[in-house]
Amino acid sequence: MSVDLARADSKPAWCPGCGNYPILKCLESALEQAGVDRRRLVLVSGIGQAAKLPHYLSRPVNVFNGLHGRAVPAATGIKLANHKLEVVITSGDGDMYGEGGNHLLHAIRRNIGIKAFVHNNQVYGLTKGQASPTSDAGFVTPTQPQGSLSAPFNPLAVAISMNCSFVARSFSGDAAHLTEMMVAALKHTGGFALLDILQPCVTFNRLNTFKWYKDRVRKMDGSHDPHDRAAAMELAMKWGQEIPIGVLFRCERPTFESRLGVLAERALVERCT
Amino acid sequence: MDINIRVAGEAGQGVKTTGSLLVGAFAHMGLHVLASQSYMSRIRGGLNWFDVRVGDRELFGGRESADLLVALTKIAAEVLRGQLAPGGRCVLDSPAGPADIPVAFEQAAREAGGSALMANTVAAGAVFAVLGYAVVGLCAYLREQFAGKGQEIIDKNISCARRGAELVGRQGACIPGPVGSGVPKTVCSGADAVAIGAATAGLRFYTAYPMTPSTAVLTYLAQHAESYGMVVEQAEDEIAAINMACGAAYAGVPAMTGTSGGGFALMVEGVSLAGMLELPVVILVGQRPGPATGMPTRTAQQDLRFILHAGHGEFPRAIFAPGTISQAYELTRRAMETAHRYQTPVFILTDQFLMDLEATVAALDGQARPIDRCIVTGSPDYARYALVEGGVSPRAVPGGESFVVVDSDEHGQDGHLSEDLAVRIAQQDKRMAKLGGLTAEAMAPEYYGPDGAETLLVAWGSTFGPAREAADIVADKGGSAAVLHFAQVWPLNVPAARQRIAGARRIVCVEGNQTAQFASLLREAGLIGDCEHILRYDGMPFTGQEIAARLERAGGRRA
Repeated sequence: MSVDLARADSKPAWCPGCGNYPILKCLESALEQAGVDRRRLVLVSGIGQAAKLPHYLSRPVNVFNGLHGRAVPAATGIKLANHKLEVVITSGDGDMYGEGGNHLLHAIRRNIGIKAFVHNNQVYGLTKGQASPTSDAGFVTPTQPQGSLSAPFNPLAVAISMNCSFVARSFSGDAAHLTEMMVAALKHTGGFALLDILQPCVTFNRLNTFKWYKDRVRKMDGSHDPHDRAAAMELAMKWGQEIPIGVLFRCERPTFESRLGVLAERALVERCT
Repeated sequence: MDINIRVAGEAGQGVKTTGSLLVGAFAHMGLHVLASQSYMSRIRGGLNWFDVRVGDRELFGGRESADLLVALTKIAAEVLRGQLAPGGRCVLDSPAGPADIPVAFEQAAREAGGSALMANTVAAGAVFAVLGYAVVGLCAYLREQFAGKGQEIIDKNISCARRGAELVGRQGACIPGPVGSGVPKTVCSGADAVAIGAATAGLRFYTAYPMTPSTAVLTYLAQHAESYGMVVEQAEDEIAAINMACGAAYAGVPAMTGTSGGGFALMVEGVSLAGMLELPVVILVGQRPGPATGMPTRTAQQDLRFILHAGHGEFPRAIFAPGTISQAYELTRRAMETAHRYQTPVFILTDQFLMDLEATVAALDGQARPIDRCIVTGSPDYARYALVEGGVSPRAVPGGESFVVVDSDEHGQDGHLSEDLAVRIAQQDKRMAKLGGLTAEAMAPEYYGPDGAETLLVAWGSTFGPAREAADIVADKGGSAAVLHFAQVWPLNVPAARQRIAGARRIVCVEGNQTAQFASLLREAGLIGDCEHILRYDGMPFTGQEIAARLERAGGRRA
């Protein structure tokens, strides 16, 4: 006789105080504010605590919760099959910058119209506290007892260097700003959008805590021109006492789907009937 | 009767161009043609050859020996002369003996007013003369082939073809060729047959990372994507390819990917994903010898067990292994239908031999006849993984009335992740129930030869052709052999197979691997006990001659 775990299978499966809760809340209001038709929305994720987010929306949406690191290619397949769908990835830093790093580069190259919301808490949560690609150098964990020896991955600088059409950063502790950034990404029609969301991990990251982020994030003032690549790169390189948040970079490139003649008249899925 | 012409030279020298010219011209004359390639993994140099077998009846495999060797280099003549059949001849630049036919290909091309590149046309003209064919047959084909390139190119090629024939001269017509019907035949390769089969069945998305010998499918589809209304994308790696295919299938379009063993190894987690999400993804695997990079340009049947078990966890799948070019077309369609009917990954398992094989075939239907995707409209309370008899839950796609939730975690009927043990059993049972339906409609193996034959050759996939020719050779020598060919290797149609295997006196499993993988599968199914094996794993395809010779040797030893 199996143990009945139905009652113990609580949802969401997140720790109390997790940064994922405000991200979920902000996403729901951003979808509302951006006027996204939920029937035409697909939330795509990989594996990890952040990747469970699509299961927890208060109102139903389409969900593709695939493999670790593979949200981007799955989302690419969905977008090519039906480019009239709004395809949004919500996944973590391990998923998007580690296991799936190569796919991210190629999605930016393609400039396919996918929005990637990356929950970046600089640590692996679901596997219980190992360094992630964005962990600060020297970050001590059970598997990096001497501290992380590798330099942290800078997703924004990489994206800007590749002319990613939309590059932004926000913080889960600033709901208004995060919602605003999500709305801006959702309204972006020019191709691939990367929104890096700084987020504390209350259980496994004792270094980059809520207070650590709160003391450092600085909302960018209106003086920054997101089309200024050099200025955007300078902002992307800032990490330490000040971490700029906001839309760092925008650039106009044709979207992948707009360059495929087959998709000009109708979506691929509409060619099946 | 049939003649085997072997065109050999360095990579990049036009071996394939010459071979293709001959294939096209012979088919144009209404002859049966079968062409197979042997090439090394390099862009220039080495030794490649292109066998053009031409006959007055349908051909099913290659031959070890050649009747005519067209050697474009000295090395080609030296290495391959030993493979000439008794009475065989060699056409080459610098003859080594009285039986050699001298033709200075490049010099002749320039003398005839062409470029050095047209040495290939000179060679084709020479072959025509050796076979005793009037060169006008070749010229007619050249006119058609180069119709779009302008009169000058046509004229130059024709004069090169004539020059090649002249150099051989009348006395050179020493290997009389078979007589063609005069009604042009269609030529198709195994790779093109898969591509056309997929495209006409309504494939809308193909994605792959280039890998020999599957790349030709990617190439064909990329070049015809617009006309078929399809998106073809070269993925950044095989992991991306399989995951893109899963995404596209989820969104409702027939999707497929293709690779070879090493690339497939990268796809394995994605195959498991397709099993878990219950997505109709079709995967083409063109085998080549491993382990690891192995022999990139050679052939093998070594990945049957790998494909059968690929993917963690247990989920149903079907594996088709076409035996001929026409079957590659038909089974690609069937693979797509099966995948959609059962919402699970389905494989087309083939190899370098069949992918690269070109032959005259009954014209393939190029008309679009889209398969039924088996999609429902659904409703707002739709549940993707509803528990139903037979395990095939109604499949809706996103963008309509239904919200479609799929999860690689174990999930409830609504698709949302669940850690409930009872839910797990219900969903696992539901998925595996589909194996029942897949088994019920599994293809019966095809039987060729006289009922009650003394010897039964058991073959799967591309070994069909050579095995069939071996059975014919045995019959010609007064023996009796039949072939039992499995074009579907999973699930097996056990009752149909049992009917044919029972009563056979001598069972010989013929496979392109070292460990007799298919025979072990038949044993698992209780279909055979101890049996003989003819195995080959040097990277070259079987031939009828070879199988027949090995049968004779093994039979002799047994007696």
